[in-house]
Amino acid sequence: MRVLVIEDELKTAAYLRKGLSENGFSVEVCTDGEDGLHQALAVESDLLILDVMLPKLDGWSILKALRQAGKQTPVLFLTARDLVHDKVKGLELGADDYLVKPFDFSELLARVRTILRRGPARQPDVLQVTDLQLDVPRRKAARAGIRLDLTAKEFGLLELLIRRQGEPVSRTIIAEQVWDVNFDSDFNVLEVAIRRLRSKVDDPFPKKLIHTIRGVGYVLEERPE
Amino acid sequence: MLVAAATYLYWSLVKDVERDDNDFLANKIQECRRLLGEGPKDAPLLAHEIQTEAAASQFIKYFVRLVDSRGQPALETPGMSRLLPMAAFPAPIEVWQTPSQGEVRKSLAGAHFLLMAGRATAQGESEPERTVQVALDVSSDEALIAGYRWKLLVVVVLGVLFSGMAGVLVARRGLHPLTAMARATERISASHLHDRMVADEWPEELVSLARSFDQMLDRLEDSFKRLSQFSADLAHELRTPLNNLRGEAGVALSQGRTPDEYRQTLESSLEEYARLTRLIDNMLFLARAEGPETGLTRSSFDARQAIEVVREYYEAVAEDRAVEVGCAGQGTVEADAVLFRQAVSNLLSNALNFTPRGGRVVIEVKEHDRNGVEVSVADTGSGIPPEHLPRIFDRLYRVDAARSQHPNGAGLGLAIVKSIMRLHEGTVEAKSEVGQGTKITLQFPACVSKAPPKLTKM
Repeated sequence: MRVLVIEDELKTAAYLRKGLSENGFSVEVCTDGEDGLHQALAVESDLLILDVMLPKLDGWSILKALRQAGKQTPVLFLTARDLVHDKVKGLELGADDYLVKPFDFSELLARVRTILRRGPARQPDVLQVTDLQLDVPRRKAARAGIRLDLTAKEFGLLELLIRRQGEPVSRTIIAEQVWDVNFDSDFNVLEVAIRRLRSKVDDPFPKKLIHTIRGVGYVLEERPE
Repeated sequence: MLVAAATYLYWSLVKDVERDDNDFLANKIQECRRLLGEGPKDAPLLAHEIQTEAAASQFIKYFVRLVDSRGQPALETPGMSRLLPMAAFPAPIEVWQTPSQGEVRKSLAGAHFLLMAGRATAQGESEPERTVQVALDVSSDEALIAGYRWKLLVVVVLGVLFSGMAGVLVARRGLHPLTAMARATERISASHLHDRMVADEWPEELVSLARSFDQMLDRLEDSFKRLSQFSADLAHELRTPLNNLRGEAGVALSQGRTPDEYRQTLESSLEEYARLTRLIDNMLFLARAEGPETGLTRSSFDARQAIEVVREYYEAVAEDRAVEVGCAGQGTVEADAVLFRQAVSNLLSNALNFTPRGGRVVIEVKEHDRNGVEVSVADTGSGIPPEHLPRIFDRLYRVDAARSQHPNGAGLGLAIVKSIMRLHEGTVEAKSEVGQGTKITLQFPACVSKAPPKLTKM
């Protein structure tokens, strides 16, 4: 997968290049707007990571020019928080997602994966990981044949983790997908939710499936003991 | 104004003089007509009037001529034909017409005369075959008026000049206090914000200006202080997490460590970074909310649905802490949806934090007709002591000073709620009883927006 990063802050560009290439992406970096647009039009990429504030040509203009040229390359915007309108503006112009600085790299990775996964992928109705089974339409979960008593949100959380199994899911994405909110809260609500989910899904059973990756998020996978 | 007055005076004088002159001649004509009509044919009285009286009149020089039916001068004041031949006179008015306005002509000798003529009927005759011609020497009048004209002109010119200069002087003097005021304001700057105009020291006209100025300075100084305080607070709050980061990194590097240990250090630092980011975001929100109208995206939505979303979010936490959370009431509210939920979230978070196990929190929505919507969060928690109560909405204020309860909380939650309510032009109120619980009530006013709010699905 080819990713074009257009970012003028050198350290940011460097760690994005490093992080993404280590995760299997082929990365190209441009540090100013004009160069970036030129590159985006000349070479086919699977994803564009675009900073809004750029020298010579800003992110909005690049996106606009790209869409006008008929290029449907997915775009992930990097914006500063102050500008709330950035989000709306970006999505209106045809961006696929946005990230507010400062962000966790794991967050970026998760969103990149999400964007690139989008497509007519068939979502199976019954999910399975070792002895954990989820019947999505019926909202039923069982492990080793034993019914798990989960609340609606707990089910949603488990479903999300299973669908992304093996892939760390960030807290922000969980909040958005499961609760459809993005609160800033003093409580680590997710931590509590995960803990309760664990108490139902993992604790009574020998194999632990839900893992915490500090600084990144949570992942559901089978790990060798 | 001077010019207008002068013009008026001039014209009224001219008119008066003209009228007098015309009246005089008119009367003369009427007199002659009467004498002619009443007296015997040769009219000795008329003759006397014409020949002797007119000639003798010193101050008012006038001439009278009687023209007979054949167009020949029958009687005339001596010397008249020399100065004023018959032809010089205007056409005579008819016998029934009252004379009123004459014409001014220059005589052969250069003097100005007002001339009038009228037909008359002699006694015994049936036809008005006689004509009376009268003339008044208006030379002196003309001279008088001309002189007056000149004098007025001079007066006006001088007057304008003089008042112009006087005006400049008065204006300069009058503006002097303003210049002094301007100089006084130059002293005031960010470092000298405390100086004031002191209203009483200024002349009466400027007192209200000085007072307004001082009030403005008061407000500016207040804002300035708050801003400085804000920066100081922020800097102070940043110290703790930064200290942790530096410390941990320093310790980690001070000796050889295993990859796992480095990993842990980095993981911990990531958590601190997240904490820092949160803090900065929140402080920035507060700072911007104090300034001019921050963009509020108002929409009309179901308040009950919104609070249910918040409740669901905290469900796990509530269960964890064995606190029951319930929602009540209905209502449609006009507000910024994101900020609304954030406010309720902050309140619920606080309630959960301070309510012991087995307690209860109720989030209620009440709609007040057209007066807006009330949202309250009531808990059966430990309550807030009355001495702390007025200050809980202060930025960075924590009731438990050691903040052991809430390592994540910076004490900004309620300050943010207050800011959100202020942005909505609403209010927030807190009631609390130690040992019983706390109830915080938000009032969202009914919107008086110019643009109709959009209906959003929550």
